[in-house]
Amino acid sequence: MEQELINIPMVVDMPYRFAAGCYLARFLTELRDNGKFFGIKCPNCGRVQMPPRIVCAACHVKNGEWVEISHEGTLMGFSIVHLPLTDPTTGQPHKTPYTYGIVRLDGADSFIEHFIEVEPDIAKVWVGMRVRAVLRPREQRTGDLNDIQHFAPIGEA
Amino acid sequence: MTDIFEVDQHITASSRYYAGKVGSRFFVALRDEKKILGSHCPKCNLTYYPPRSTCGRCFSQLSESDLLEIGLNGTLETFTRIDYEVVSVLARDHESIHPKVDPVIYGIIKLDGADTGMAHLIGEVEFENLKIGMRMLPVFAETREANILAIRYFKPE
Repeated sequence: MEQELINIPMVVDMPYRFAAGCYLARFLTELRDNGKFFGIKCPNCGRVQMPPRIVCAACHVKNGEWVEISHEGTLMGFSIVHLPLTDPTTGQPHKTPYTYGIVRLDGADSFIEHFIEVEPDIAKVWVGMRVRAVLRPREQRTGDLNDIQHFAPIGEA
Repeated sequence: MTDIFEVDQHITASSRYYAGKVGSRFFVALRDEKKILGSHCPKCNLTYYPPRSTCGRCFSQLSESDLLEIGLNGTLETFTRIDYEVVSVLARDHESIHPKVDPVIYGIIKLDGADTGMAHLIGEVEFENLKIGMRMLPVFAETREANILAIRYFKPE
């Protein structure tokens, strides 16, 4: 007789909280309440980190000067993702293909990574493309980076 | 000064545990015959729970013929009490079958004839009345599936 082989589906469900700290808290509340991006400027090298950090990782000095960052920026790198990676917030595979990239917003020196709302076609997306942050409506914003829905190309559609 | 700000996050990970030949024997015996199987390494003279196809000590290949019945009763080795809501660890079609009520008492029970302990829920007893070394017996579920919750919990003899 053929042996019955057992498999057990399992779902690990982990809600957790992370304390944002005073700098990231200001960044996230400004994003949630006013739809604005704020970065922090290093008094030594002058670079602007966004999301803000207390210490400049290059100079090891305390950052203190808040600067508002534009919603527009430049696509610095991207992937067209064909692998249905698991969306960690739902446990379900992400619908493919989609474009994911890093954006340097005007006024910032660091990158922010997010979904890029372009046709996932290598001919239609390029490094240097100008993009703009599309935020969720105020009532849907909760104070995390998902308050940004995606980045969309400027001047198209 | 910014108020303390916590970001709610959520990670969900779906997976599937394949029990393998020896593990499948274990789950089927548990579900169909209310028997608990361990595997015995003749070289080390050790009996493992859960049953496995390799001796973790001498790396001998063990087979289905090395399976033997252990328990059903055993001795409480250690126990703990969980006072936060236990999130699902086992699921069938994403329906949690793990108890979510608190407090939950977990214990490790060394079943008679086994050299390693079994971690399981403890029921029908107040936490204050539990003692290491106590004799325990399993309470089986009425309708049993091929997973570890075919045993609902262990209770004092």
